[in-house]
Amino acid sequence: MTPKTFQVHYQETKDRMIFSLSGELDLAVAPYLRSSLEAALPRKEKTLVLDLGQLKYIDSTGMGILISILKYRAEVDGALSVENVPSKIKRLLDMTGISQFLLAPSGQPGGSGGTA
Amino acid sequence: MNEDYQVTLTIPAEADYLDLVRLSLYGFAHRLGYSYEEIEDMKVAVSEACTNAVLHAYPGERDGRITISYEKRPNELEIRIKDRGAGFAEAVPQLSQVRLPERPASIHEWEPGGMGIYLMRALMDDVEIAQEEGTEIILKKRLPN
Repeated sequence: MTPKTFQVHYQETKDRMIFSLSGELDLAVAPYLRSSLEAALPRKEKTLVLDLGQLKYIDSTGMGILISILKYRAEVDGALSVENVPSKIKRLLDMTGISQFLLAPSGQPGGSGGTA
Repeated sequence: MNEDYQVTLTIPAEADYLDLVRLSLYGFAHRLGYSYEEIEDMKVAVSEACTNAVLHAYPGERDGRITISYEKRPNELEIRIKDRGAGFAEAVPQLSQVRLPERPASIHEWEPGGMGIYLMRALMDDVEIAQEEGTEIILKKRLPN
């Protein structure tokens, strides 16, 4: 098929596993995102960071993946941080109610920060 | 550009073509003068309708098609997403039953099912679902002032 505009860049630091998502996240690229994250999901020694700064589009499939990441990280007691959420993406996360879990500051009620 | 007119696009019922639908919607809606935000809303709604068809319309078939039509009507843009599959009926909840997921106290209680239909209703002015020889989702948005 044609080249996809959706890309995942990975960078690991001393205490963070940073996945930078760019482009359009929909059903077509969901398997690619899932496989990109697979190895990092169980690792609880570092914070899993999703940088959405360059994300242009998300739909219910993408939001479903975010929910599954949240659930998985909570189960393994691993920290998760979702950062640089563009306003149009945040609006959809607000609309569906996901924000309260995904974007709440760590350590506050409803937060998703795991052990952070 | 004042008269009513219509553009139709037919795609294979595969996820790889969803971006093509969003591009065509952008082109059509932009010509009608919708704002960037309104077009972004409609992109999500149309994409959700097509995603439903991709996932549910043609189980086990490889050559299913989805037809998307954009029509400028006197007061609104009408977008029809039509498949000829049989597998969608059970996957579409009654519109009257679709509502925002109950805000769960814990993420573990969260079930994302129905989010696509919910988004369509939240982002468009009107949503209809008709089922006859497949499924047709009709999305409407008032024309910009």
